[in-house]
Amino acid sequence: MDAQGQERFREFVENRSSALLKTAVLLSGGDRHAAEDLLQNALIKAAGRWQRIDEPEAYVRRILYRQQVSRWRLKWRRRELTVAEPPEGTGGGDAASAAELRIVMRGALARLTPRQRTVLVLRYFEDLPEADVARILGCSVGTVRSTTHRSLARLRSLAPELAALGLADAEQPPSRDYSPVEVRP
Amino acid sequence: MNVDELVRDSLREQATEQRPLGPGFADRVLTARRRRRTRTLASLAAATTAVVAFAVAVPMLESGNDGARLATEANQSDVIAHPDQSPPRDLIAAGDVALAAYYTWKNVEQTDDRAVGVREYRLLNQKTGKYEKTTKWSFIDIAPGMRTAAVLEKDLPTQRIGLLNLLTGEVERWIPVDRGVAGVSFSPDGGKLVATTYKANPDLRFKVDYDSDGDGKNNDYDQSHDQPRTGFYVIDVATGKGSWSEVLEENVRNARQDFAFSHDGKLVYSGLAMEPLMQYYDFKGSKVDRPANERYTQWYVDAGVSPNGRLVANDGGAVLDAYAGVRIADVPGYTPLAWVDDKRLILWYSEPGENEHHTRLVLATIGSDKLVRLSGALKGNDGAPGQWTPIFAER
Repeated sequence: MDAQGQERFREFVENRSSALLKTAVLLSGGDRHAAEDLLQNALIKAAGRWQRIDEPEAYVRRILYRQQVSRWRLKWRRRELTVAEPPEGTGGGDAASAAELRIVMRGALARLTPRQRTVLVLRYFEDLPEADVARILGCSVGTVRSTTHRSLARLRSLAPELAALGLADAEQPPSRDYSPVEVRP
Repeated sequence: MNVDELVRDSLREQATEQRPLGPGFADRVLTARRRRRTRTLASLAAATTAVVAFAVAVPMLESGNDGARLATEANQSDVIAHPDQSPPRDLIAAGDVALAAYYTWKNVEQTDDRAVGVREYRLLNQKTGKYEKTTKWSFIDIAPGMRTAAVLEKDLPTQRIGLLNLLTGEVERWIPVDRGVAGVSFSPDGGKLVATTYKANPDLRFKVDYDSDGDGKNNDYDQSHDQPRTGFYVIDVATGKGSWSEVLEENVRNARQDFAFSHDGKLVYSGLAMEPLMQYYDFKGSKVDRPANERYTQWYVDAGVSPNGRLVANDGGAVLDAYAGVRIADVPGYTPLAWVDDKRLILWYSEPGENEHHTRLVLATIGSDKLVRLSGALKGNDGAPGQWTPIFAER
């Protein structure tokens, strides 16, 4: 990378790294250290082909997602997380219990596999349609659908407090493709 | 409320809570990248640092070869350079150190998605003064004086350490070990070895499903993210006796994270993934503070502390006061590889305007812009077959 390229790279990181870090933290289940590692790796890869990337942010995000799911295959041993335990008696409809439910949900999200979490982040944080998620992860739309379905079901099973929540659209049984979740090269 | 709405709310709330990254993140990335480029997968760690210091003699393998002259003794020129050779074929040396060996990486596939990263060494033949390919060894470190190398056989981790005579090419002695060893490093005086123990091969690689090197092909590997390291032996070379210390450290970045000796040879250290970035241990495995003149060293920079113990060379060619950490000079070049004496360093350097991966070995002098080119430039991109990693030793 020449000096001009380095300057552009620094500028990009300065302007976009905090937004990218948010995604990385969610992908890492709230583990800030793992998220910084994940982002650093993605940016290193981006730096390696900086002169040839037209849309750096899209490129880095794609690496973030794919790196994360591939780490799962590498049996990435995530650091233990400390998740705040909610007080007894959650499940009401007031503001306090909504906040408690979100804490419970975070704990449950942190216990999903990185692949399951990645699909949920893409669907519900990035608000991407299933087809885009499939394209990013290199799998079929059916796989995205079935993974979403299983991930939401897993969240319910991880925390009894979530059992009372209504069914999401994605929780309707998918019409096809129950094949094992797999990311293709 | 539906479960998907709660997922959405929770994710958004978590995202907004993140404090922003510090202003130095881009530099951290660029530094980490440079580090990876020059030390593929950061293996070997600082293993070669220890052998480049001021050493005395190697206590074994003296007998039987007294009449023969080492190539590094036959040619005692201050600088022996081959700027046309990459990879090098003939002895390269400057001041007190010489290029003792170098290696390239090759992935040997084991299954569809698993491989072993294998080093292919070229070791200096002390009879001919040429670097010769050897496929016998999976890991090599060279003792000061360049008469002896510690070698490990294939299929890491191994149960014995060989002491190879560089004049005859024969293993003179084997040191058996109870626990599997996958990395060895000599102490600065050559009298001891620190051998890093692993419960599995730390050089295993797993195929990643994205284009890691940007060549348009999804055929790249990454190291295992399991941590197979278990501890280290400190072994007395003359007697072959040693003790093992268990080190269970979670804060380790690489599957291979070898131990090496401190500058004075009294402690061992290892790189860490996060602050404090390095940890020192006594020979019983107890954590100890950094030595006073190693507070500013970087584990991934091989050159480390100068022979007189007063300076430290850091990434990017910064030279600091070893005790105070004050920057006192900058030398041209990326990565300091070895101190040649108290004023000169061997570094990786790429010519202005040249591909940044195409670095060559140069000799730089503190306080001078003059560079002496010691080798030809690396070819190809990071990890390409033409990329070789040097190992220096005191000649």
